This record gives sequence, C-alpha cells and structure tokens, in this order.
Amino acid sequence: MAAADLNSIRATIEGRLATELANSPAIPVVFHNMAYEPTPNSSWVQCLTTFGANEYLGQGLTTDSQNRIVGLVVMNIFSAKGVGPGANLVIGKRIRDLYNRVIVSGVYFDAPSGPEALASPSPEGYFQTQVRVTFEFIEEL
Amino acid sequence: MAVLRGEQGAVQFDAAGSSNATIVGTRSWSLSTTKETLDVSKHGDTFRSFVGSMISGSGTVELVYDPDATGQAGFLEDVLTTADTADATFELFTTGTTSGTDSVSFAGIITDMEITSTVGEIDIVTCNFITSGTITGNLE
Repeated sequence: MAAADLNSIRATIEGRLATELANSPAIPVVFHNMAYEPTPNSSWVQCLTTFGANEYLGQGLTTDSQNRIVGLVVMNIFSAKGVGPGANLVIGKRIRDLYNRVIVSGVYFDAPSGPEALASPSPEGYFQTQVRVTFEFIEEL
Repeated sequence: MAVLRGEQGAVQFDAAGSSNATIVGTRSWSLSTTKETLDVSKHGDTFRSFVGSMISGSGTVELVYDPDATGQAGFLEDVLTTADTADATFELFTTGTTSGTDSVSFAGIITDMEITSTVGEIDIVTCNFITSGTITGNLE
C-alpha cells in the first residue's frame, strides 16, 4: 500500500467532469488556477476541488493503517442572465448525475447538494448555481 | 516518559494459536482484567482482610471492515468456531508490534461479533472476547 496520491484523486474527479462536458452540447469548464475569459451570455462551469479534514481510521502508524481523506468539489454553473434557470439546471443535472453516490477509482462521492441558485453571482453578468459534492478516499498505508 | 496515542496500537491474533499476525484495519481495542477476592477476615478482626483469587479478562476489538484486509476474516469468523477450545491467541499492543513488548497476550474466545452497515458511514465490526488461562502483561 502507499500514501494517497492527491493529484491522482483530483484528476479522477476533474477528468470525469471534463469528459462529460466535452460531450454534446459541450460546455467550457475551468478548474483551480486556470485563467478563463467567459463569452458573454454563454454557459460555462467552474470546478473547484479541495481537500479538507482527514482522520485516523485504523491503528498502526505508517504501516498496515488507514486514514480517511475527506474533500469537497464545488461546481459553479454559469448561464445567460435574464432567461430563466432552465438551461442552467439542465447542466446541473448532467453534473449531479456524474457524481451521485458513485465510487470511482476508490473515491466515494456522497449525494450532491444543489444546484443552488446564488443571489450574487461571481463574476457578475450571469445566472449562477452551485453543486457541491463531498467525497472520501480511504488511504491505506 | 512518553504518553501513547491509540494509533500506535495494534492487535495480533491467530485462530490456531501458533503464529500471531497483525489484523489490518483495527480501529480500537480494550481489555478489562478482573481479580476476584476472598474474604479472609477472622473472628475478632475489626477490619476486613482479603486475598487475591482468580483472574480473568474480557474486552473488545473494533475493526474497520475490509474483507480483503489481512487477518480480518479469520478474526471475526472465529466466533463461529464450534466446541471452541480457546486455542486462539491474542496479543494487544499499546505501541508497535514486537511480541512481548508493550502488550498483553493471552488465549481466548471470541464470544460475540457484530457488524454494522449504515448509509454514509464505514462498515464497522465489533468483536468481544474473554480470556482463557494465563494473561501475560508486558506493559511495563
């Protein structure tokens, strides 16, 4: 066994979204630490993966032991302003279905929250909703 | 002096009692040891006197269930041993896994096993045991 590869976990999570949103109708997706200039009145998605509090699972220090790694994926869905939420929620369903109670490469995704409409979009000029998914990974040392 | 934390601990077990091996996925263990006492007060005494008598122990091992984890299946299924002759051996470590060091060892019987599966939580196995015969302490 080996320590968890956090970048591999991130790639699993983000790759799943990138593959889905590359399908028709394709939606641009941007991740942490990437520059992006959105086209006005277009739809696009921002995916932010973060790792949070971890905890011991089993005894055994650095061998024959387990940790629980917990993280959060926040997906901000932006769509044209002033035309209702339909287009946005269609994207939200695609994203929600991607992660809903799925286990991929050892990453356990919980039931997603959202899409939740945000009163103050950031950046402004769009209708924004947010889907949040917590996930777990069991690190086996 | 050094205090210990639970993650330093370990449990080793062998159902046949020949070669203990670490149970991977142990979350916690506990052992309670009891010594019975005999009242040896005599007529005329004004204070009671006792001597120590039979010693026994019991405890619990809690596992994060993983059917593929080394040692787990043999441990939790030992409760199904019929006509159990208490041939299984246990060694409970407060730190490390060096036999005879920072541990308590004994033969024993797993008296009950409970496995729980709850939505959103990790499956947990809890096994209770009693000791049989000598309890050897190496906790000094």
